[in-house]
Amino acid sequence: MAGSALKRLMAEYKQLTLNPPEGIIAGPINEDNFFEWEALIMGPKDTLFDGGVFPARLTFPPDYPLSPPKMRFTCELFHPNIYPDGRVCISILHAPGDDPMGYETSAERWSPVQSVEKILLSVVSMLAEPNDESAANVDAAKKWREDRKQFEEIAKATVRKSLGL
Amino acid sequence: MNRTADGFEPSQTESGPHSPVFEYDRNYDDETMSLQREIEKQISESQDLISPSQPLEELVEEYAKEDQVFRQKLADLGTRFTHIRKVRGDGNCFFRGFGFAYLETLLSDDAELARFKEIATKSKEELVALGFPQFTIEDFHETFMEVLGHAEKKCSVQELEQTFNDQGISDYFVVYLRLMVSGHLQKESEFYTNFIEGGRTVKEFCNQEVEPMGKESDHIHIIALSTALQVGVLVEYMDRAGDACNHHVFPEGGRPVVNLLYRPGHYDILYNMQ
Repeated sequence: MAGSALKRLMAEYKQLTLNPPEGIIAGPINEDNFFEWEALIMGPKDTLFDGGVFPARLTFPPDYPLSPPKMRFTCELFHPNIYPDGRVCISILHAPGDDPMGYETSAERWSPVQSVEKILLSVVSMLAEPNDESAANVDAAKKWREDRKQFEEIAKATVRKSLGL
Repeated sequence: MNRTADGFEPSQTESGPHSPVFEYDRNYDDETMSLQREIEKQISESQDLISPSQPLEELVEEYAKEDQVFRQKLADLGTRFTHIRKVRGDGNCFFRGFGFAYLETLLSDDAELARFKEIATKSKEELVALGFPQFTIEDFHETFMEVLGHAEKKCSVQELEQTFNDQGISDYFVVYLRLMVSGHLQKESEFYTNFIEGGRTVKEFCNQEVEPMGKESDHIHIIALSTALQVGVLVEYMDRAGDACNHHVFPEGGRPVVNLLYRPGHYDILYNMQ
């Protein structure tokens, strides 16, 4: 099973290198282990996170792509859909049947024809448009809903920090 | 097991056993999900993906001893079928059961195998045309064609059983059947959109209910698979209504090649060996 996963991950890496989507870089941390990837995600233009560069880790299970990877930001990121420890909580990262957040019916789910690229693009749109209906960080969701100004300030500080400023 | 059974186990040290407190840093979702994974693992370790075939009477021993309705239905079923093969209850049983039973018939039907091989070969291009990225479907298609190749080389039923009990191969085969169903639904979306509930588009339905592994099959999956592949499927329904098993053939009016037994939430394979 891990052999099929490796083959698929190599194909995806090649695909991402040949046709990188805008604002996303991703690949294995070490080419000896294709099951641990690092990704850099640029904050999408004209959003609160514009200008930031956010590093994340993707960990793939041995039965990938039957099951989805896990994704965790390794930098600070105060956001309704990111747990305080960095783990990303969006529908496409959940195995079928796991629906702790009761996502809306149109939300993309994981299936074997999804891909790393699809996940990262979903993460970019999550940064652009937080979903406070399914909050992983309750504080962040509350601020986003009730005190947008303060949320914006925290986001700006996060962007600066991500650039090492 | 108790620890995570409800996901909200009270914190013993801080607040006593009867006043559950929400711990901010604790990830209850993960605990619930890992419990679910654990249950799935237990099911999978106790059950073959595809069991050897066994006489139908053994079902009476297992399930229906004290149940009058099921006993009656089994007696009725016994007038049409003699054997059963159990399929693992992992949400893929319809696809896996269908796949095995159909390939088993192909072992002795060269003309049908040739017809099916052509459909399967062409299906990859059709999926790419529908917008599935090639690199996401390639491995599944390859495995699917390999398994078909075993049947073409006239492998034995035992070898086919082994192939379908090899989780890696078996699951990839199931994924590709799911993709063919998804492809058919999307190609004929104008028709199928009428049968989809919850205000979802056909594409959303496919993404959520067809393509993910472990998602159970409904009538729409069966209609789409049997229509797309032009393979007749007979389903015997063993539920609580009436005293005989009702059956239905998909697609309507087709000649059944594969026979399945449906008990609420699950499909197994039926045979008439007389």
